[in-house]
Amino acid sequence: MSSTHPLSGRTAITGLGMTELGRVYGRSATDFAVDAVLRALADAGLAKADLDGLLLNAGISQGIDLSLAQAIGLPGLRLQTQMNGFGSSAGQMVGYAAMAVNAGLAKHVACVFADAPLVAGSRAGQAYGGARAGARRGVMSVAPALGFVGPIPYYALHAQRHMDLYGTTQDQLGAISLTSRAWARKNPLATLREPLDLAGYHASPWIVEPFHVLDCCLVSNGAICVIVSAAEHARDLAKPPVYVRGLAQAHQLEWDDEAPSLAQRSSAAAFAMAGCGARDITLAELYDCYTFTVITTLEDYGFCKRGEGGPFAQSGALGPGGRLPTNTGGGMLSGYYMWGMTPISEAVIQARGDGGERQAPRTDLIAVSGNGGIFNYHATLVLSPHAR
Amino acid sequence: MAEEARALPAVDERSVPFFEAAERGVLALQRCEACRKFLHPVRGRCTGCGDTRIAWVDSSGRGRIWSHGRLRRSYLPEHEGKLPLALVWVELEEQVRFASRMATGEDATLRTGDRVAVVFERLADGTAVPVFRREA
Repeated sequence: MSSTHPLSGRTAITGLGMTELGRVYGRSATDFAVDAVLRALADAGLAKADLDGLLLNAGISQGIDLSLAQAIGLPGLRLQTQMNGFGSSAGQMVGYAAMAVNAGLAKHVACVFADAPLVAGSRAGQAYGGARAGARRGVMSVAPALGFVGPIPYYALHAQRHMDLYGTTQDQLGAISLTSRAWARKNPLATLREPLDLAGYHASPWIVEPFHVLDCCLVSNGAICVIVSAAEHARDLAKPPVYVRGLAQAHQLEWDDEAPSLAQRSSAAAFAMAGCGARDITLAELYDCYTFTVITTLEDYGFCKRGEGGPFAQSGALGPGGRLPTNTGGGMLSGYYMWGMTPISEAVIQARGDGGERQAPRTDLIAVSGNGGIFNYHATLVLSPHAR
Repeated sequence: MAEEARALPAVDERSVPFFEAAERGVLALQRCEACRKFLHPVRGRCTGCGDTRIAWVDSSGRGRIWSHGRLRRSYLPEHEGKLPLALVWVELEEQVRFASRMATGEDATLRTGDRVAVVFERLADGTAVPVFRREA
């Protein structure tokens, strides 16, 4: 297992900054973002003056923009932009930062996601899905009027198609929800930590069949920042570097059963860069906007065959003690919803060995996914405590 | 923070032919005059060949269920008291995937691959919209 790709292992995540996450009220997205960047710098042992790149991704509330540099007080940036690939944004930011630090365009790049859509007393779904319904006009306004409000119906129907084509069951969707909760119970930062069994999953309210509330991710306020540095500048910093062994993106116009999916293409490219295959991956942090997204990503990444994601989830392989620990912080279903920064932050914690009660035994090669749109935008990272 | 959610379709300049056809009981789609590809959503150029000669034509209104689900929670006032709604994604014969729902009262158990045909219903503001009914 070795890579000949010039980018593999040449970049590291050197700092991680996480604010309070969840139903945290009274702070703006900018407040959260400033906090996350400063925490990440402190974590890396860097000063503000050391930071010369800033990439930012505003969530659904669009609460941060390029004025963030002024709010932090970063006078000497050489690289700065606002990015959006929805759920794939975080992986994309790390990818662009990796290219920049290896090309000598910057030395240390902060990549930050911040969002604050929740206000006290609001329902999460209203804050999120409802906010989008009025934005459409013309022919595209017909679907929301008929019931396709926000992203949930589209994902629910993708899940139902998988159930009809491959026999995936409601219990198998539930297995993903239960696995997330089992991990979240071991994560002090997770939002939902009370015990959950299959009966509790089935009893949770329907949103769009086949999705219960517990098939859908949380909505959270907060921010997460990672610092990306070239490997040669990473070794003297405060924390052990977490190396980027592979990275890739792939995009598609809409789901097509006849063609390789975006996640298949993205993971294949990232694994090739890392010089590994799916069977070499020891830990997975997968973008779980819905339970079904995990099932299809497991298949797309090659951890099981197409159509076998449901039984794979039900086998216990993904949970504590399983052979492919997955979403070890509780993911976005039970942990916290920071778009692609949720899986990346947990991968960094695990790679450093800081997982505490939830620490996975083998962190050699960690697959991290980011998924945006309705399976339109995807990014993959392969992270590791080892440069090669 | 959020702009007010709208439950009714908003006709704009480009979509007038679609809503006029709906009044005739026809599901109209854009088609590229150069390569004959059907376009949905509305475009100013063909997403295949790039030609700008785009015409509105009557579709067959027939297709198969690509997938289906049941809306159980209302996010919009228009849907209060009408749940569940049988949502369908229909792959039309024109190779276009169209998001809609089954006609009111069509409560049959749906399966991916079922044949459906368009019918029209009026929403609260009188707008005619395409929904689907199962075919034998």
